[in-house]
Amino acid sequence: MGLTFSSIFSSLMQWRKEQDVRILMLGLDSAGKTTILYRLQIGEVVSTIPTIGFNVETVQYKNIKFQVWDLGGQSSIRPYWRCYFPNTSAIIYVIDSSDHTRLTTSRTELLTMLSEEELKGVPLLVFCNKQDVEGALKPEEISEQLGLAGGEKSRPWSVRGSCATKGEGLEEGLDWLVNAITEK
Amino acid sequence: MYHLLKGFHEYLTRKEEFSVIIIGLDGAGKTTLLEKIKTLYNETPGLSPDKIGPTVGQNTGKITLPSTILQFWDLGGQRGIRNIWPKYYDDCHAVVFVIDAEDRERLGEGWEVFDSVLSAPQILEVPLLLLANKQDSPLSLSVEEIRTDYEDWYQHKLGSARRDRFGEAEMAAATRRERLASLDVMGVSALEGTGVRAAVDWLFLRVQNSRRESQKNSNE
Repeated sequence: MGLTFSSIFSSLMQWRKEQDVRILMLGLDSAGKTTILYRLQIGEVVSTIPTIGFNVETVQYKNIKFQVWDLGGQSSIRPYWRCYFPNTSAIIYVIDSSDHTRLTTSRTELLTMLSEEELKGVPLLVFCNKQDVEGALKPEEISEQLGLAGGEKSRPWSVRGSCATKGEGLEEGLDWLVNAITEK
Repeated sequence: MYHLLKGFHEYLTRKEEFSVIIIGLDGAGKTTLLEKIKTLYNETPGLSPDKIGPTVGQNTGKITLPSTILQFWDLGGQRGIRNIWPKYYDDCHAVVFVIDAEDRERLGEGWEVFDSVLSAPQILEVPLLLLANKQDSPLSLSVEEIRTDYEDWYQHKLGSARRDRFGEAEMAAATRRERLASLDVMGVSALEGTGVRAAVDWLFLRVQNSRRESQKNSNE
């Protein structure tokens, strides 16, 4: 009985917490996570330096307040991503579309992350960033290489092209994400 | 005692879950259809049509009907990503194929793809619904026209295949006739929502029936 009460209580707390939607933005280093974050928040392109640790900003988008956590992407700090997994409503994964050589690394990191119990069923938005760079892979090609199809049936996911410096594709992506989150 | 009652309550209110995949060419209106279904059946409205772009990936949606939950997967339809569809074939309970009835130029391509879906061995026994979308447009082909267009296309294809290898085509034609006879075509407008409820009702009935049949088969 006590268990029931505590589960009711925690679900109530959960409901209150949802006012602030927590989104993790992850990806390898120099994929453009910080640029996307500030593009979303202040609508400008800021000059960034490699993130050690994290940037966290509240982004107001269409009546929803997102708490976006932009975590550093260098290999040495990737293991710390998992500390931020609890209570995550959605994941934005950023890939540098022009970086062909590290796509497999990016894929491995993504799949490792998705296999975490805490992120089960959480909507995933993949930004194939830097679409303006010549030789950038198309979202379809990247989607194919990531091989999410079939394996990730429990969560909605979408792979989209973006260009953070021009602000292209970001809003469309967020619209999709908002829809996927409210659906839950 | 509490757990006993709780278990009993769960048993009574248990709902069976069925998976439905929505496939078709890009731009056919699959995502619009899914979002319309969500809007009609759920409290939170789906994405409005003007916000919908090409899907690379999967969109999901869940609707609750009496004693049944329908879980939808809307899969991207661009040429390069159609090869992900078969990965969903094994555990889906129904397939919805959406065709753009307005786009006459791409009907042939649509039938080509539809044909491969029709003959996929994993889903031969699975209920298949063909939706002629965009019925809101006056230029669109009607349900009957869509049906005949497909038959014509198929006869044409058969004609050219017959010259190559006779026996094989004949064999395929037999299984296909069976499949085609049980194929339902319905007209919808995902944009306006006309026919969408009828399509969902169809899905609801067919997944229930096919489950009963498979239970009967396993009992025999």
